[in-house]
Amino acid sequence: MTQAIRKTAPAPLSPVAFNIPQAFQTTLKNGLKIVIFEDNRLPLVSFRLAFFSGDVNDPDDADGLTSAMAAMLTEGTRNYTSLALAEKIERLGANISASSSDDFTIVAASALSLYNSEILELIAEIVFRPTFPEDELDLYKRNTVENLKFQRSQPSFLANEQTARILYGEHPYAKISPTPEDIEKLSRNALVGFHRKRFLPNNAVFVAVGDVDRTELVKDIKENFGKWQTGDFGAVAFYDPPARSETSLTIVDRPGSAQSNIVMANIALDRNNPDYFRVMVMNQVLGAGASSRLFMNLREEKGFTYGAYTKIDAKRLSGDFEATAEVRTSVTGESLKEFFYELNRIRNETVSEEELANAKNFLTGVFPIRAETQEGLTNLILSQQLHNLPDDYLQTYRDKIDAVTTHDVEHVAKKYITPKNMAIVIVGDAEAILPQAKPFAKKIKIFDTEGKPKDISEYGQKLGGDTAQVGGIWKLVLDFQGQQVPVSLLLKQSGDVISGKLETMLGNGKINDGGKISGKKLSATATSEMQGKTIEFIISATVEGDSMAGTISAPIVSEPLSFKGTRNEKP
Amino acid sequence: MSETFNLPPLEIEQYTLENGLRIVLNRDNAVPVVAVAVYYDVGSRNEREGRTGFAHLFEHMMFQGSANVKKAEHFQYIMKAGGTMNGTTSSERTNYFETLPASQLPLGLWLESDRMRSLAVTQENLDNQREAVKEEKRLRYDNQPYGQIFDLINEMIFRNFANSHSTIGSMEHLDDATVEDVQEFFRIYYAPNNAVLVLSGAFEPTEAKQLIETYFGDIPSQTPPPDLNVDEPKEVAETFREWEDKLAPFPAFLLGWKIPPRRSQKFYALYLAGKLLYDGESSRLYQKLVKGEESVIQLFGFTDERRGPSSIFVGAIPKPERDLSKIRGTIMTEILHIAADGPTAEEIQKLHNQLFNDTVRMRQSSQSRAQQIAEFALYDGDPTLINSELEDLLAVTPEQIRAAVDEYLNNENRALLDVIPAGNGQ
Repeated sequence: MTQAIRKTAPAPLSPVAFNIPQAFQTTLKNGLKIVIFEDNRLPLVSFRLAFFSGDVNDPDDADGLTSAMAAMLTEGTRNYTSLALAEKIERLGANISASSSDDFTIVAASALSLYNSEILELIAEIVFRPTFPEDELDLYKRNTVENLKFQRSQPSFLANEQTARILYGEHPYAKISPTPEDIEKLSRNALVGFHRKRFLPNNAVFVAVGDVDRTELVKDIKENFGKWQTGDFGAVAFYDPPARSETSLTIVDRPGSAQSNIVMANIALDRNNPDYFRVMVMNQVLGAGASSRLFMNLREEKGFTYGAYTKIDAKRLSGDFEATAEVRTSVTGESLKEFFYELNRIRNETVSEEELANAKNFLTGVFPIRAETQEGLTNLILSQQLHNLPDDYLQTYRDKIDAVTTHDVEHVAKKYITPKNMAIVIVGDAEAILPQAKPFAKKIKIFDTEGKPKDISEYGQKLGGDTAQVGGIWKLVLDFQGQQVPVSLLLKQSGDVISGKLETMLGNGKINDGGKISGKKLSATATSEMQGKTIEFIISATVEGDSMAGTISAPIVSEPLSFKGTRNEKP
Repeated sequence: MSETFNLPPLEIEQYTLENGLRIVLNRDNAVPVVAVAVYYDVGSRNEREGRTGFAHLFEHMMFQGSANVKKAEHFQYIMKAGGTMNGTTSSERTNYFETLPASQLPLGLWLESDRMRSLAVTQENLDNQREAVKEEKRLRYDNQPYGQIFDLINEMIFRNFANSHSTIGSMEHLDDATVEDVQEFFRIYYAPNNAVLVLSGAFEPTEAKQLIETYFGDIPSQTPPPDLNVDEPKEVAETFREWEDKLAPFPAFLLGWKIPPRRSQKFYALYLAGKLLYDGESSRLYQKLVKGEESVIQLFGFTDERRGPSSIFVGAIPKPERDLSKIRGTIMTEILHIAADGPTAEEIQKLHNQLFNDTVRMRQSSQSRAQQIAEFALYDGDPTLINSELEDLLAVTPEQIRAAVDEYLNNENRALLDVIPAGNGQ
């Protein structure tokens, strides 16, 4: 092959059409809707029995009831103990599980198609005849409480918890997880009563995808689910998410944390909003992927983080826009600046035709990949059903994305991304974060990891601009494997920005404007050229008047070296 | 059961280019998607002492640009085409793969061939990726509770350096590497005659073959890599170690046994024994520990399959204040039961149905087919094994499972790593 052909990316072959036929639909007399997608390529089936009620429908005094009920469905029924049921299912090589989300409760099964009838009977067994045994419920409660405790050690959980609370107020989306106290309160009686009230055929849809015969399957479903009594599940009204008029900053304090988990969020749109596809394309340009603007800026250009993304969480009743990243503590403030820059840019400048085309190509291209496996296709069909999307939703999905224009992107960016009333939530070392983040919001609150508010004046010294003056020449002594090594530090200060020089016997390092002083805490990086390699020395110290103590770490030493010393000359 | 279960074989075509690149085509036009997988026969097992971490560093280098693809453009090309991609490194191989709309097959082949032919192994890229690997090590190993336990137990199980050292490797070794070292590594291991290219999904075979010839045909072959010895004595190198983990919130332990190579009858027997012990809610250990004693928060187990001596693991994170040795006692008692009596008839039936189910499910996605085929082609020289492995697994008898458990899963052949939380009590 000639070099020339190799120079540029090849043109695609002619496109291959991807036609998904529409699924068959029918409804039983009792109101149970049935959706069947026949696909006999492989001897497999996927079933979903889904209910249009979820965690938001927990009674006011029983948070966690829906998720507990779902989890307990497979822990004992009239004809099977928990163990006997697990054995029966696994002996068929199958999977059956039940779980709840904010809006829905879903029983999911997958199996070899030669066991279709057995699986249908087992779904009927767990849906109609769960016994919620006391001992299994006790075990569920104990394990769930342990897991909830463990969750609090995860920064992402703490960030999501605060974000939902702030955005959704009195709306049930505000609570992303029950508390240990909620779990302790759950009783068998409550589960039994709730199950009877919630599991109604006229509040459910049955989806089947795979190697099935439509006529036979409808007959089987009728046999198992036809006698199910229709009922009234009662309409529930929810408060709207609160209106917000200004930017807020909420810090969850994890002292010593090396990273800041940043979430910036505002209320956006629900899943049925006609702007949904436009917002999806806008989000792809802005931050959904590794070639989106936010990632290219914060990771590829600035190197602040391993990844920075935006997402649209569009649920049944409402939804939000979120921008997130985990960044090094020292660049928290600079990261916020870049976030706001990108959020404002997509609102105020029309995106280029090329960026638009790239985003659309990605979204239309991955669609068939998502639909390639039976589980993937089942989840697409289920989501269509649960959100009452049009019958031709899957068939027109790519056309709707292709129809989005640069004007649409600008319009929905302005409408659904609102920097002026954004909730900023940061999980990390509050002492270090506060001075960096406070310029971005007027309203500031700090919580501990248990969710209890902290007195902001505890961090007040650093808030008031009580910044140490560190300019001058410092003579320091470094402890290198027991040896005392002299080191000099020449510092210049401008506001809270530090620059200067690190002098050692091995060579000198330069501190560019990246150094920071926050209260009495100095953090700076000196870079040095050694044998053609760039080496970074990370300096972190506390200053008390004319004395300083801290550590220097570098890739060539395995542990940070501690130092202390005094100031010889002031500027 | 197996009489009623009939799975048609996958369509497999294989051939070799003149430069030694092995090609496998698996056509399946059901969905207009094509998977491209390139497997290089190089993993951490090929690394010499003093040069660990090279195979994985290379996985990073492969995204840093080549003659006609600039730095970081690889994933942008793929995303703009509506595809997905990645690369991974193990002890056995380094793989690179893309899933694309069928019309974008030429793009995938162009990108893979350009870096096979002309990777930019420069000082700048090397320095840059060394730092990226260090960041990755901090994030995924050093800064994660329990993040280092699998690297540690491999050192305890294996004596042979090729088997015992970690894939992430030593940061000092990476710092020592010169650009010439890295160029030499690329020349030897990233040669067409040391790789397999698999296409799976929707394509026209004639057209695909022509494209493959166009893009890969004139990449020069190289002298084959040096021979490799992965032999091991039967017993583990070290039976007990304590590890203080600064980030672990709870104590934990990990048990590891050295077992025969993948695809051997004994490996299959132990793989199935493992499923009975720890796979699913009806498994023996789940029922004993999570349900019966209610003593553990998390129970896990898996086999690490290698061309040479392999391993099997069982680990647990117990609930606070539990007696770890009692939990280990329960595990060893269950293993002894299998070593004495073998699996029950019901368990064999369960295994067979799970094997059918797993085999069929793995066939759904073109990328998952491409990767399995690539492994058989690279490790065994026979991609059609994807069509017969199920039979090999079904042929394992209860007595073979019992005997293999008795022979290998005993105290003498076992490494025990105890994880002690050494942090601030959080």
